[in-house]
Amino acid sequence: MSDRFDSLFGQGLAILFALGLGALVILTVDESPVRVFVTLLNGAFGSPERIAGTLLQTTPILICGIAACISFRGGLFNIGIEGQLFMGGFWATWVGFSFNLPPALHLLLAMAAAVIAGMAWIAIPAFFRARYKTNEVVSTILANYVAILFTSYLTINWFKRSGGQSETPPIFESAYLPELFSFSRLNWGLIIGLVLAIGVYLFFTRTARGYAVSEMGANPKFAEYGGIDIKKQTFLVLIASGAVGGLAGGVEALGVHHRFMEGFAPGFGFDGVIAALLANGNPIGTIFTALFFGALRSGSLLLEVDTTASREIITVIQALIILAVSAQITIRRKASDSTAGERRWKF
Amino acid sequence: MEVLERLLNISLVVATIRTTAPILLVALGGSFTTKAGIFNIGLEGQMLVGAFFAVIGTIATGSPWLGVLCGVAAALTLALIFALLVVSFKANEVVVGLALNILAGGLTVSLMKAIFGTRGSIFGHGLVGLPALRLPNVKDFGWFGQIISGYTPLVYAAFLLVPVLILFYNRTRLGLYIRVVGEKPEAAEALGISITRIRYVSSLLCGLLAGLAGAHLALGYTTMFTENMSSGRGFMAVAILIFSNGDPLKILLGCLLFGFSDALSLRLQTLGISSYLVLAVPYLVALIALFALSYRSRPRVIQETLASMGRALSVKSNTIQPAAATDASKP
Repeated sequence: MSDRFDSLFGQGLAILFALGLGALVILTVDESPVRVFVTLLNGAFGSPERIAGTLLQTTPILICGIAACISFRGGLFNIGIEGQLFMGGFWATWVGFSFNLPPALHLLLAMAAAVIAGMAWIAIPAFFRARYKTNEVVSTILANYVAILFTSYLTINWFKRSGGQSETPPIFESAYLPELFSFSRLNWGLIIGLVLAIGVYLFFTRTARGYAVSEMGANPKFAEYGGIDIKKQTFLVLIASGAVGGLAGGVEALGVHHRFMEGFAPGFGFDGVIAALLANGNPIGTIFTALFFGALRSGSLLLEVDTTASREIITVIQALIILAVSAQITIRRKASDSTAGERRWKF
Repeated sequence: MEVLERLLNISLVVATIRTTAPILLVALGGSFTTKAGIFNIGLEGQMLVGAFFAVIGTIATGSPWLGVLCGVAAALTLALIFALLVVSFKANEVVVGLALNILAGGLTVSLMKAIFGTRGSIFGHGLVGLPALRLPNVKDFGWFGQIISGYTPLVYAAFLLVPVLILFYNRTRLGLYIRVVGEKPEAAEALGISITRIRYVSSLLCGLLAGLAGAHLALGYTTMFTENMSSGRGFMAVAILIFSNGDPLKILLGCLLFGFSDALSLRLQTLGISSYLVLAVPYLVALIALFALSYRSRPRVIQETLASMGRALSVKSNTIQPAAATDASKP
């Protein structure tokens, strides 16, 4: 318990350190750090609408974060969540506007399309990682670029709304993911994300299969001697991660935009990866880190209105936090003199 | 036939050389870290800050050469942070590399907005590119002259660096040390080579070339800075490094493949093929090459990297492991 407190304390210190560095960066772009932080807070939590806006931004980050957690647990890096999100978003939308079905069934099929698209998009990198150990970090990153260009191509060359901009026709209302409140586009996606986080957490802590995955992440050699089929499990872990990444795209398409367009949901996949890293691969922790990043994102919308700083300053802060935490964990590891270089996904 | 003639001619060769240069520079930079046993996914970010500060430096001083210097300095700073965290603090190299890439993306856009009040791209403001070199007497060589003359200096530097690096790894003490540290860190330890120092040196050499690559992108390849202008070249370089194992000659071949697919895809655009598909070609080529070659060569780099990191970390407790045991673990 005290160890966990220690870790939280260290994490907090690292975040403070990063915010301090962030303040320095803000000073170099000629803005007052206090004003930027106050504006961020105000933009994120200043009113019920803004809180709902923050949660709206949190939702895709959370689901992408869970996708990242699944791969990190197995000692794998799925950095291609952005691409899976785009593919999931596109194909969910396609089901949403191509067919006219009864409400519940339509939504379910559109969601299924998103999940399948996400799985399909990671299948080839996953196969080569499992079979030939082809580095999944690089292959999934490169696949992101292809996914973003490919979905844009499909949108503009095949499914462009007549007379519209670079976007598909809107989906039928039967495929809408219902909204939670009347005053915001915040929808059931958040609930899906929370349930998923708890479910994935329970899977890893309470089931034999989940334990086997964690085992593989912690020590693949040992896991193999223990009788785990590493190749099969590697493939399945990446596919599961891709499925959740696709789901994130489906939630974003069916719950928020109700269509697919160029620049759909930019950066959520990467934010999810960072949120999961910051939570050290723990799905429950990811709920809070995703909320933190969601707040930064939604606060940054006000930032461009009220200050001269650009909203990208929050990406700088996020990166600094990850760097600070990655250094802090090693300092702690050295201090406690525990075994170094354990799990691959740890900082 | 006419289509083929429009696609394949001398200007395609020239275009290939032009598009190869930036990725060749950054990949050769990455060869230092790869050879030293570091998996450096942060090339992308180093290239991006290199490009940005090359532009800033040029606008501030009026000299593109001082601009190049600024770009290199910025990339070196990022490389130093990378080395500090990965080598000294033994933080996870993938995490640090990714975070530095994100930092580079956010920082360049924030600074662009702060300095120029715009987002998107910087051009004008007295920005001048590097001069193109016209080799003397090229007229005598006919088409060959066309191919070898008229590029900016960093293009020549990129291609000349290939033999230089081959000599460096085979004939110099530092080159040998870098290879030993990457391949057999326990042997390096036994020989009294400082693994830490060698890895710092290779990270910084890598930053130097990545900075040059970025500067070339902004002052040679084009004369502007655009948001995220490295557009995945750093990641493609990492893909090349994986299947080339960091060998300069294989890197050259890999980069020429990308340069060619890049140049060809630009041509395809003139034939009316969707620009979205065309732009995806280099990434697809990278992926296919990565998958196809991993079947043959297996990712020795990564495995050895991870294994050697593990060994480097545990080296204090059990100083020298028998080499046979580590060899047996390879597929």
